[in-house]
Amino acid sequence: MEELGKISVWSTDVAGLHLVFNLTTIYMTLAVMAVLITFAVLATRNKGIIPNPFQVIAEIFVSIFWGLTRDALDEDLAKTYFPLICALFMFLLMCNWIGIVPFMDEPTKDLNTTLGLGGMGFFIAHYVGIRSKGLKTYVKDYFEPIFFMMPLNLIGEIAKVVSISFRLYGNIMGGSIIILVVSYLVYNLIIPPFLYAFFGLFVGTVQAFVFTMLTLVYISVQVK
Amino acid sequence: MVWEQIEWVKAAAGLGAGLSVGFAAIGAAIGEGYAAGKASETLSYRPKVAGEVLKTMLIGQAVAETAGIFGLVIAMLMLFTPSAGKALLTGWAYLGAGLSMGLSAIGCGIGAGFPAGGACMGIARQPMAAGPLTTLMLIGAGVAQSTAIYGFLIALLLLFKTLPEAMNWVAACTLVGAGFAMGFGGIGPGIGEGIAAENAVIGVARNPENTGLMTRTMLVGQAVAESTGIYSLVIALLLVLST
Repeated sequence: MEELGKISVWSTDVAGLHLVFNLTTIYMTLAVMAVLITFAVLATRNKGIIPNPFQVIAEIFVSIFWGLTRDALDEDLAKTYFPLICALFMFLLMCNWIGIVPFMDEPTKDLNTTLGLGGMGFFIAHYVGIRSKGLKTYVKDYFEPIFFMMPLNLIGEIAKVVSISFRLYGNIMGGSIIILVVSYLVYNLIIPPFLYAFFGLFVGTVQAFVFTMLTLVYISVQVK
Repeated sequence: MVWEQIEWVKAAAGLGAGLSVGFAAIGAAIGEGYAAGKASETLSYRPKVAGEVLKTMLIGQAVAETAGIFGLVIAMLMLFTPSAGKALLTGWAYLGAGLSMGLSAIGCGIGAGFPAGGACMGIARQPMAAGPLTTLMLIGAGVAQSTAIYGFLIALLLLFKTLPEAMNWVAACTLVGAGFAMGFGGIGPGIGEGIAAENAVIGVARNPENTGLMTRTMLVGQAVAESTGIYSLVIALLLVLST
């Protein structure tokens, strides 16, 4: 049980600031990126009428997420933001699935990853909002319905980032803690693979989808 | 018998872990049961869509389970964080964290179950719209959980806050009060947002062309229903940060 909460870190001092990097997260994020880039290369090489298996998988992703993005945004905006939404889902899916490989950890088990992605979605949503509504209407929306509601509207917006990133973090972290505790209780016999299948594959997929859809919804709420 | 400081902290950790996981289990179980009940009711008159309904029910239950899992995470963190050298106030912070996480998870577990039940009913009515229904169910259940996530945030802040060494009753009650503020504040919004999501899902099943309009209405309604949860979050944050 000692491995709970133990992480390998690399710290350095830059310009008087003490910076600490979580090495496991960095390595695992790089591994996920390597897998995705390999997948992209394999899927787009020798594109043809008779697709190779990777191209089929890529086409499934593209067709599903193109439909979802087009339903939520206008056709023009959907063309701009569809690559982001699809790539976000594939990245999160791979991040949540990589934990089932022995000696690998989910990068999403680290709050820094999910908070970073949540912050990214927040900035993109507000950028789109300012672009499409104009700065004046955008600012005025914070003073709705009455002007003194402004601080609460502001906190409500920031709370969205908190809720989206802690949801993913808590689910993945909780799944790995449950796996660790149950494996310890049953001496690693029989049950852990099923738990990995449930928390890694099933919950990981659902939560990656929820995160992606909420990012998309936050963008579409800003536009409309 | 006189207890050492570390024993007090350990006792509080045990109590807090029990509060956290015990309360959190109530909501998640009710929500999942509601989804299963609606699925059974649906299958009684339309057994042909059994596979689709079962799949939707399982996904919805997995989302409703989130609140219970958060309670478990907080409980495990409390039990396995070393208690040696902790200030006596840490024990009170543990109690507050347990209350914040446990109570706020009640409403969100129930609320996240409602859209799952609604989606099971909707798929029987309109099997062609299974895709949009599942997506809307996930969005609705996800938003309905946000107050449990605020409770999770407050609990994590309470767990990892460095507290003054000296015992002080005002600070102790403030820490527990933060837990009460977020915990009780999280119950109502969770259930309310769940009701909004369930009705939006059923509405989409009636009239799939209006999916966009109903999603927006649902989100605006949920944002308003959540405002009391955000008041609680603000007060709880002020209480935690003021000690």
